[in-house]
Amino acid sequence: MIPLAQLTTSDPRLQALSMTASDLPLAGGPGPRGLYVHVPFCVHKCHYCDFYSLVETGPDSRRPAFTDRLIEEIRAAAPRVPCPLQTIFVGGGTPTLLEPGLWARLLAAIRTHLPLAPGLEFTVEANPDSLEPELLDVLVRGGVNRLSIGAQSFNPRLLATLERRHDPANVRRAVGLARAAGITNVNLDLIFGIPGQDLDTWLADLDEAVSLEPLHLSCYSLMYEPNTPLTARMRSGAIRRVDEEVEAAMYEATIDRLHEAGFEHYEISSWARPGRACAHNLLYWRNESWWPLGPGAAGHVEGIRWKNVPRLGDYLRVGPLPPITDVEQLDEDGTVGEILMLGLRLTEGIGEAQLRTLLARGRRGPQRASAIEQQVAAGLLARRDGFLRFTRAGLLLADTVLAEVL
Amino acid sequence: MHVRNFSIIAHIDHGKSTLADRLLQFTKAVSERDARDQLLDTMDLERERGITIKASAVTIHHTWQGEDYQLNFIDTPGHVDFAYEVSRALTACEGAILVVDATQGVEAQTVANAYLAVENDLELIPVVNKIDLPTARPQEVAMEIEQVLGLPAEECLYCSAKTGEGVAELLDRICERLPPPAPPETDKTRALIFDSRYDDYRGVIVYCRVFDGALRVGDRIRMLGTGRHYTITELGRHTPTPTRVDELVHAEVGYLVASIRALEDVRVGDTITLDTDPADKPLPGYREPKQMVFCEFYPATTTGDSGRKGEFETLRDAIEKLRLNDASFVFDATHSEALGFGFRCGFLGLLHMEIIQQRLEREGGVEIVQTAPTVSYQIVLRDGSVKEIHNPADLPDPSTIESVREPLVKLEIICPTENIGDLMKLCDGRRGTYKGQRFISQTRQMLDFELPLAEIIYDFHDKLKSITRGYGTMDYEIIGYHADKLVKVDILVNEVAVEAMSLICHRQAAEKRSRAILQTLRKQIARHQFEIPLQAAIGGKIIARETIKAVRKNVTAKCYGGDVTRKRKLLEKQKKGKKRMKMVGSVSIPQEAFLAVLTTEQ
Ligand SMILES: Nc1nc2c(ncn2[C@@H]2O[C@H](COP(=O)(O)OP(=O)(O)O)[C@@H](O)[C@H]2O)c(=O)[nH]1
Ligand code: SF4
Ligand SMILES: [Mg+2]
Repeated sequence: MIPLAQLTTSDPRLQALSMTASDLPLAGGPGPRGLYVHVPFCVHKCHYCDFYSLVETGPDSRRPAFTDRLIEEIRAAAPRVPCPLQTIFVGGGTPTLLEPGLWARLLAAIRTHLPLAPGLEFTVEANPDSLEPELLDVLVRGGVNRLSIGAQSFNPRLLATLERRHDPANVRRAVGLARAAGITNVNLDLIFGIPGQDLDTWLADLDEAVSLEPLHLSCYSLMYEPNTPLTARMRSGAIRRVDEEVEAAMYEATIDRLHEAGFEHYEISSWARPGRACAHNLLYWRNESWWPLGPGAAGHVEGIRWKNVPRLGDYLRVGPLPPITDVEQLDEDGTVGEILMLGLRLTEGIGEAQLRTLLARGRRGPQRASAIEQQVAAGLLARRDGFLRFTRAGLLLADTVLAEVL
Repeated sequence: MHVRNFSIIAHIDHGKSTLADRLLQFTKAVSERDARDQLLDTMDLERERGITIKASAVTIHHTWQGEDYQLNFIDTPGHVDFAYEVSRALTACEGAILVVDATQGVEAQTVANAYLAVENDLELIPVVNKIDLPTARPQEVAMEIEQVLGLPAEECLYCSAKTGEGVAELLDRICERLPPPAPPETDKTRALIFDSRYDDYRGVIVYCRVFDGALRVGDRIRMLGTGRHYTITELGRHTPTPTRVDELVHAEVGYLVASIRALEDVRVGDTITLDTDPADKPLPGYREPKQMVFCEFYPATTTGDSGRKGEFETLRDAIEKLRLNDASFVFDATHSEALGFGFRCGFLGLLHMEIIQQRLEREGGVEIVQTAPTVSYQIVLRDGSVKEIHNPADLPDPSTIESVREPLVKLEIICPTENIGDLMKLCDGRRGTYKGQRFISQTRQMLDFELPLAEIIYDFHDKLKSITRGYGTMDYEIIGYHADKLVKVDILVNEVAVEAMSLICHRQAAEKRSRAILQTLRKQIARHQFEIPLQAAIGGKIIARETIKAVRKNVTAKCYGGDVTRKRKLLEKQKKGKKRMKMVGSVSIPQEAFLAVLTTEQ
């Protein structure tokens, strides 16, 4: 067998091998603590989106076939998940596009085949337009206890700029329905830096979101991903990117406003009421293990990262574990780099003791240590209370800093 | 036997090569079956671009009024960058066929080439070609020829190189009209070298025309210009396949092989004489080739730094190999902080530069990064001496400079009458002096200007073409050097002068040009954690300024659904990109920025 470290997408042998997840070595440790499920359907493709999702709305949609296949995959993955799962996150795509009947079967399969921890955090991403009482009922009964609603903005004009098609009024309705169904742990996703948005319109969006009393808020600055219509429109001059100064002001204002509103800023773009940080997200930032299900889902188990091939056709055809790509097993230095890259995103930072251990690993330790000192000297990183963490100026330049210490 | 030596001259694409083929076919030199299109243009590139780069000579026979005529057809390069080579080839002839396209009419190169022929005392036979085309207007074009060149319209021959119509008459006309070669001037042997090319097996093949005496296989010869000696091992003529002969006598044209190793050992225009009985005076008109346009070639950057050296060597091999075939371009190894190892090359003109670049890429298999062309400057120093430079970095201390001179050209433009105003404006903006205007036809005029070569080497031709929607043509000739207010502009990034970005330009254009460069730079250099001033300065005085603001925000706020690998790769790319940049002080400048500056539009 070819060592995993040598397999990447660019490696032609991978194509030839057409590896599936069953070729991955078995975990030596406790295995995954989380589960990520990718549902690749949307009613419409938003212009900024580079997630894997398909617009399939007609009667011949492959949603039922997908669900069947997903259940098969769950069964096959079960031996790879020996310990109880602490978190499940169903994202997409638009998971709420699956009909209640399909959801019921999916949830039943999860409960039947996978070990679940008592305090399981079970999140489903929801589109404000497709969250109905009937579906909520199925979700709650199936164990879902957290909803992440893609609000993005409450301003119809800005939603139109993003080609994001939902009625902003439905966000309030969705939050209400979730509460009525017994789900109080709600996250709202918001985007700032949308062309045409200024600081005031952004703060209006933020205030509106806060007024809905979510327990968690994710505020992302708009990204211009390659090969998206949004980027093409920006390049052609049809829309103008918000000025960097304005984006910076928006981000800083968000930090202040949410602090006043009683939210804890625990990760670069995540805020939560005390004790309500997203356990699944923390798993990512702490470099822990989770198993991926569904086409396009990325996973990580004990140092090996991979991605299920983002093609529904292949997913439906090849099984029971899906075809995978981008398989990677980092060396010591790569691993340390990733741990730093991920861990520093948390505002608490990385404990000095852990940092010392990390810097003792691999060959680039001394180099990294000096890069870190440079960033401390530049005022972008700080050492406080036994932790190395970003300063506020550092948060704004996080990518610059992380690239240096990587 | 009668001998007639002639050339065909034409504006590009008017049908010179096609007509030459037709002549060969008519005289049965080439059979119908063998007739490849455009037999005389041998190189791929010529075939593709339709430009005849290297001259060669072909001997054909024609019977006129019952007598045999040996017709030596000497092909000339089709562009004025090779004006000197063209003029040498014309010197070897007594007459020329002036071909004009019946649909296009007289163009700039028609005029320039016709003038060259007249200067060389050649008899001209005007031919209007492509009369088979439905849009042909032969009579009008004949009138244009009369109008511009004074060749009577009624003497024009009408022909189609495509169908062969009129070609038989043309052959007769050559025998009838062109003068026979003049009798020898001395009894010593003198032959003019009008072309040479390199052959992997035999070394240099010299094309020459014997004016006096004769050359024989075994003769010990001497080049009067270079003083070099050789022994003739082979003489011959192209018919068009090479055919060996024992001697080339008075008035004949052919080739010569003499174990000459490198093209640079042979100079076009030089005189061959016999070493045992040398002529004391060379044939007139010999000149060293002079490079007027310069630019730098670098191997195109690839990903890794390690591959870099190897690419440089590939480029060097390609350049050296090409130089075997073209002694008129020069090169020197150079090193740019930004672009690595490369070559500074000099060319006869713009087209010459373009051809070399393409041949390097095609024949040498190297991808090239080319900097914007510059011209050669003459620096007159206070002590009276003159220094020639073609790189702004080589400018001496300004306090020692009396004046800076730049090459001046005579420019002829033929254009539709309605574009005259815009072209006047264009030339005016390029420091041009209007010299005159001439009527060609109801709809077209010829304009004469003098302007600095530096003003036309970059995008002038493109501008001309766009103003005239493709109908305008131009031609230029270098007429000398003249002094102007030329200054060196330094570009400073964060207060540090970047030598590789400095330039020489006219004082009056300096602000505008500097601003354009700084704006380009501003887009090319990424924001840093601090503000970066960009400045242009003449002798320490700031004439333009831009600022790159400090970076305020660089954070990806999304976690890509746990796609950590992708996130890491993006950061790695950011970091790697930075590594490949050139540090100037504390500023990282991408390679592309250097290139962008070197190619910023004037
Ligand atoms: N219809 C037509 N086309 C011609 C004639 N002579 C040349 N051409 C075409 O005009 C183009 C340029 O001809 P070429 O001989 O390469 O021109 P050169 O650049 O002067 O050597 C080619 O496509 C020829 O086929 C002609 O008499 N009639
Ligand atoms: S709903 Fe989400 S996954 Fe679907 S297109 Fe929009 S952004 Fe992409
Ligand atoms: Mg030709």
